[in-house]
Amino acid sequence: MLVFAASDKGGTGRSVTSANLAYQRALTGDHVAYVDFDFGSPTAAAVFDVPGAMRGTEERGLHSYLEGDVTEPARIDVWRQTEHPLLRARPNQSGRLVLFPGDAGGGEFATGEDALERCVDLLLRLNGEFDLIVVDLSAGRSYAVDMVLAATAHPRMRYVPFRWLVFHRWTRQHVIAASGLVHKENGILRSGVDRGHDEETLQGSIRFVRAAVPDPESPLWAQGSPAQAAWMQSCDETLRRLAAEHRIGDSVVLGIVPLEPILQWREQLITEEDVLATQIANKETLEALEEIARRLTDESHWGRP
Amino acid sequence: MRPGESAPRAVLACGEVRTCLLPARQALDSRAAAQLLGLRADERVLLSERPNLYGRSPDTLTGVDCPLPSANGSRVRAVGTVAARASLTEGRVLQSSAYFRVPAAGPDHRRPWGHYLVRPGVVEPLGRLPREAVAQGLLGGGRHGELDVGLIADGLLTRLLRHPLLDQRPPLKSRPTRLRWVALPADPGDGPSIERFTLAEDELRTLRLRVPEGVRSAEIAGLCDDLALHDWLLTTVVRILDGIRLGSAPPPARPRPPTGDGLPPVVRALRPAVDHLLHLWMPRARVAKELAPLWDALEERPGFTRQWQTLVQRIRDQLTLHAIPSPYREVEPVP
Repeated sequence: MLVFAASDKGGTGRSVTSANLAYQRALTGDHVAYVDFDFGSPTAAAVFDVPGAMRGTEERGLHSYLEGDVTEPARIDVWRQTEHPLLRARPNQSGRLVLFPGDAGGGEFATGEDALERCVDLLLRLNGEFDLIVVDLSAGRSYAVDMVLAATAHPRMRYVPFRWLVFHRWTRQHVIAASGLVHKENGILRSGVDRGHDEETLQGSIRFVRAAVPDPESPLWAQGSPAQAAWMQSCDETLRRLAAEHRIGDSVVLGIVPLEPILQWREQLITEEDVLATQIANKETLEALEEIARRLTDESHWGRP
Repeated sequence: MRPGESAPRAVLACGEVRTCLLPARQALDSRAAAQLLGLRADERVLLSERPNLYGRSPDTLTGVDCPLPSANGSRVRAVGTVAARASLTEGRVLQSSAYFRVPAAGPDHRRPWGHYLVRPGVVEPLGRLPREAVAQGLLGGGRHGELDVGLIADGLLTRLLRHPLLDQRPPLKSRPTRLRWVALPADPGDGPSIERFTLAEDELRTLRLRVPEGVRSAEIAGLCDDLALHDWLLTTVVRILDGIRLGSAPPPARPRPPTGDGLPPVVRALRPAVDHLLHLWMPRARVAKELAPLWDALEERPGFTRQWQTLVQRIRDQLTLHAIPSPYREVEPVP
């Protein structure tokens, strides 16, 4: 199963959340690949805490692979090469977790038939090896989005299942932008149909994830005044209506990740240790991530709403 | 002219084998295998049905002119051709194998291509060959720009994997492996021997051999293909068994997401091994007679077939256990 992580804007928590989903799935025993197609601003090394392993991959990353400079992209075994002490103790019965880093200096680049063929080669090989492949895409209507839309419409990929997660924050601008990324004239749906996707099937494979959503009920805001609480409630209501009007209402939401202070400070994986032992992360955040990870392959959450 | 006859005596042979599961729902029959492996219009695919179904493509040649990797940093430019071929065992396991041999010394200047073309699979050093340093360099893997025989094997594999015959629906998840080998001449009078066989990284194996003079490099490559195939089978089946959770174990902290085909997870995990892998074990099926003793050493230690039989028995026991109706089972095998 391929899962494409997209967002219209930066700062939506797309990379950190999708990395956490990959981590959660690996904990359940799946073999998971995390593919960093966020050309230009790769953050995966920081999230998985593998800065040391990244040295030496600068010219062997996905960018170089797609351009044909190397025949196999670098891969980093996260359990083995992470500098995060908790991750290094790979839990029993967990699956593999492998990061395919982008190149340090690789920006966006021109699309081409060769790059597309190589992208298809890569995704097919990963599909033969991993249970789940999370592909983190650059923000906006990027080259990476076009390339994977074309790749998944390629005849060689006809039997490879794929799904899209569109991440957005819970504000007026982000809701409108996320809807635009999918539904607008040059959005994912229209571009996908132009490349040979069936509109209904493609639409049924796109779900939204609301990230960094403040929960008015949360103890975080318990100190606030009643006026603040009422204001937050009403904002939340307005946003729900706005989302529904923009066709990204609750029926196409795969999950909601609450506002998590530690993720505001630092992009990282949320472990059970962070919640139970050191208690720096909220239980709700971990539960939300676990639930979204589970729903990735739960058919009842997918298809035409 | 037979290959090898025109070339000076080789003192080093080297190659790399890639082994992977054919990404197709059904195994290919011999006709389809011939289509897949028909890399050249002017040469036929070798097909055989005894003792198992096997197809091998004709050799393709890749011209090279680049430095050889060397362990001590000495720079040896070499020119010639690398041979590569693909094979398919029982329509299920695909291998691509690239190899070449190197004489002790070559001309000081690069010759016209015609000189190299009549010596297929020979790469000649310009000047003398620092044999030991190059042998170590080849096994350790070169730097960017140095001769990388694995690249040639991978290029051929990529080409085959794009073939329209393949529906890209592999019946199980598996990892490709790479086996990189070098062969040096054995002392006069000695038989072939394995100096070292290592599992370096997860997917990389390296093999250092001594072979008697006169053994053709294609035959050494054939032995290494056979070894790589069986190493891949062991690796793949071990991983399948690693991935199953037995009913008697405590439930995992996080239950696996539902899959919905109604089969017990153990049966679902083991079945593809029975359908597609267990009948493939047949060491030495196509190994040249003078190299066959190398297998005996591996059977002694680490004991390839011994491990395989244990794995097969374990799979059969698990499936038998799951065939017993549940009221008679002491432990529920479902997680």
